[in-house]
Amino acid sequence: MALFEVHIPILDDIKEKGLIPTLKDTTDDVVERITSGLRIADVRSALRDDPPGRPNPRLKPHSEGFWLHMRPTYYNKLVDGVYPTFRLGWLSTFFFVVEIITGVFLMFYYTPSPLVAYENMLNILSNVPFGRLMRDLHKLGAEIMVAVVLLHMLRTFLTGSYKKPRQFTWITGIVLLGATLVLSFSGYLFPWDQLSLWAVTIGASMAEAAPPEVVGRTLNLIVRGAPEFGANGLLRFYLAHVVGLPLVAIIAFGVHYYKVILHGHSLPPDNEEVGVDTAKKVPMNTRTYFMPKILTRELYYVAILTAILVIWATFAFHAPLEPHADPLVTPLHTTAPWYFLWLQGLLKLGDKVIFGIVIPTIVTGVLFVFPYIEVGPSRRYGHRRIGLTAGVLSVAGFVILSYMGTPWYGVDTSPEQEAIATLLPQTHPGPIRLADWNELDIGTYEATNWEEAPSETLQELLHTFSEEISVAEYGTRTAWEGIMIVEDWQTSLKKITLRVLWIDSATGNPGEFSESEYIHQFSDYGQGE
Amino acid sequence: MKWHIALGIVSMVAVIDVLSGIAITEQDRMESYTDSYQSRQIEFGALLFENNCRSCHGPQGKGIESVGPAINAADLFNGDRLRSFDFTGTVEDYLKGVISAGRPIPSQGSTYPQRMPTWGAENGGPLRTDEIEALVLFTMNWEKVALAGEDGGTISPPSGDFIGTDITISLPPGDVDRGQDLSDGALGCSSCHVFSAVGPVWPSEGLAHAVGTRAVERIEQSDYNGNATSPEQYLIESVVLAELYVVEAFQAGVMPVYYSERITLQDMADLLAYMLSIP
Repeated sequence: MALFEVHIPILDDIKEKGLIPTLKDTTDDVVERITSGLRIADVRSALRDDPPGRPNPRLKPHSEGFWLHMRPTYYNKLVDGVYPTFRLGWLSTFFFVVEIITGVFLMFYYTPSPLVAYENMLNILSNVPFGRLMRDLHKLGAEIMVAVVLLHMLRTFLTGSYKKPRQFTWITGIVLLGATLVLSFSGYLFPWDQLSLWAVTIGASMAEAAPPEVVGRTLNLIVRGAPEFGANGLLRFYLAHVVGLPLVAIIAFGVHYYKVILHGHSLPPDNEEVGVDTAKKVPMNTRTYFMPKILTRELYYVAILTAILVIWATFAFHAPLEPHADPLVTPLHTTAPWYFLWLQGLLKLGDKVIFGIVIPTIVTGVLFVFPYIEVGPSRRYGHRRIGLTAGVLSVAGFVILSYMGTPWYGVDTSPEQEAIATLLPQTHPGPIRLADWNELDIGTYEATNWEEAPSETLQELLHTFSEEISVAEYGTRTAWEGIMIVEDWQTSLKKITLRVLWIDSATGNPGEFSESEYIHQFSDYGQGE
Repeated sequence: MKWHIALGIVSMVAVIDVLSGIAITEQDRMESYTDSYQSRQIEFGALLFENNCRSCHGPQGKGIESVGPAINAADLFNGDRLRSFDFTGTVEDYLKGVISAGRPIPSQGSTYPQRMPTWGAENGGPLRTDEIEALVLFTMNWEKVALAGEDGGTISPPSGDFIGTDITISLPPGDVDRGQDLSDGALGCSSCHVFSAVGPVWPSEGLAHAVGTRAVERIEQSDYNGNATSPEQYLIESVVLAELYVVEAFQAGVMPVYYSERITLQDMADLLAYMLSIP
């Protein structure tokens, strides 16, 4: 008598049906398990875009599978393509996933400590294969994601899709917008270079401005972990960026998308009767089924966007890495990231508390609350002229404020510093560092005699210099002159000194301002920094 | 739908192609990035050198007599200096250690009255590790020039009649340009008195007068304890009898005390002419 029996079902099947049919059936079973309900024949029929037959097996992955459980089984034909939504919500999610993937890659090579952060960045860029690509993709994805999320909000506003019953969807959307902005802002700090430290310091200093003083100080300590950014601040921002905010975003996204599906995607306003939300009721003849049409389309979007992003990040877009953060040296004309330029512009208008705290809080409050205030029943453009005008004016306002946040508005620097900063800027390489090193001939040159400079590069640089000098105006100063000195300093190293001279017509005293920089032959600044 | 699938496959193939291209060129790109980063560090090091090191080691690292040794010198890069005190590491190791830690006591056999300050943050100094590395790279960039032997070594003293310590001695007519050359170069006065403010600054600055005018005021001050009766004598006394009277707010023991036996009468005359000519 045998001690135990070995029972191998597949052998029984082979005995019963034969080898090939058994393998076919086993494969069919496996495919059905993986796809949660589609057998091989169903998969093939879906790929061929055949009519599905009843009962429709292509609905089973939605009802029985995890991955598609929240995706709708069909869309209304009117909203299944690029127009009218431009698929911006889908794009936001896509970029979030891109950020997670590239972000986790970068996490392997990064430690959030000011002592090693910059070194880690150098390591990623010079020692890790595909390190630069991953970093560039991460930065590119972040910038595009902020833009896409903002555009998605704009689209939702324009089509009135925040109205009943979708008000709370809008609220979770604003939460997601906030999470996206803070995610992008916190990530800015990690390279620990001059741009990181100072751009983020500008933003965080507004927390300090909150009245009363004890609240502002406490908020500042919570945000930065110390009176100024240092090890504590970097760690806090890292935890927020890597753990806290993704959690908030995923939860808010869950609620947001669930409600989108629950109420159905809103239709173009002209296709609905006023005050009636017909998004949930989709007649059979206006349906586009998820499988195969929408799924194929989405996979296609993924493929195309990945190609665009990878090609863009490989050949054109490169994230900058400026010199190491120095808390004692603020680069001239430092700005906040572009999505916070409007805040910087606001701050130039007056009191830090009113323009930095009160007004942004009001703006945020309005964004949160207006679906419950703007309760007109119609989503049609013709019935919402006031609201739409207000929206367009707000966008214009933000654009104007963003311009005001740039260094070209309201920044009072003396003309000699401006002139020198045009050639040797402190926030990016600038013309001299990007020029051909070999064409920077040794010598002393006057800006006004730029045409006589020995090389074309020098002529261009001196021409720019002389143009800046020629419009210089400051009090009683006259007789402005610009001089550029190029010295051979060391092996492959030149010293460039820019000097601006003037005479004060009131006292007759001469004055001068000069700045020197060293330029190495192989420093190769043209890498996008 | 068919064109969706086709275009999707084309995109995937494009991505694979680009990624393969990157994989092939990545090694070279990483090396060239390292090179370009080190070049930028040399630029940064040059700036740090100008702000921190030039006052003792001279503008081109050629050293200043009795203040700081030459580092743009062949004996540093060919190993002689390191061997002389049995240092077994590389020149970079040596430079990193010296710059970061400084010299708590002067090197054996050296005649430098001041010690090398501590620069590295890990030893309590003001510079970060990457700033120290930048300085090391900048210094190493002198290797080619130093080994090629163009004026290697610390400036040696001139021969001839030295001025001594008699401040009433009469001097020959002085040449302003030669005086400026001496100050900027061989004697290194400009490093502390013109290009930086280690000692009283010679040119006028804001409300303060130039050294020539100040010399007139100095001998009238109540705390002046020297023997000069004219501004020229005062300036000579400052050079050859540096320890006798130290201007308030400046440290004693910084101005080298050897100039009475290093400068000839003509040198002093030229230097004096230059000092008095500074606006």
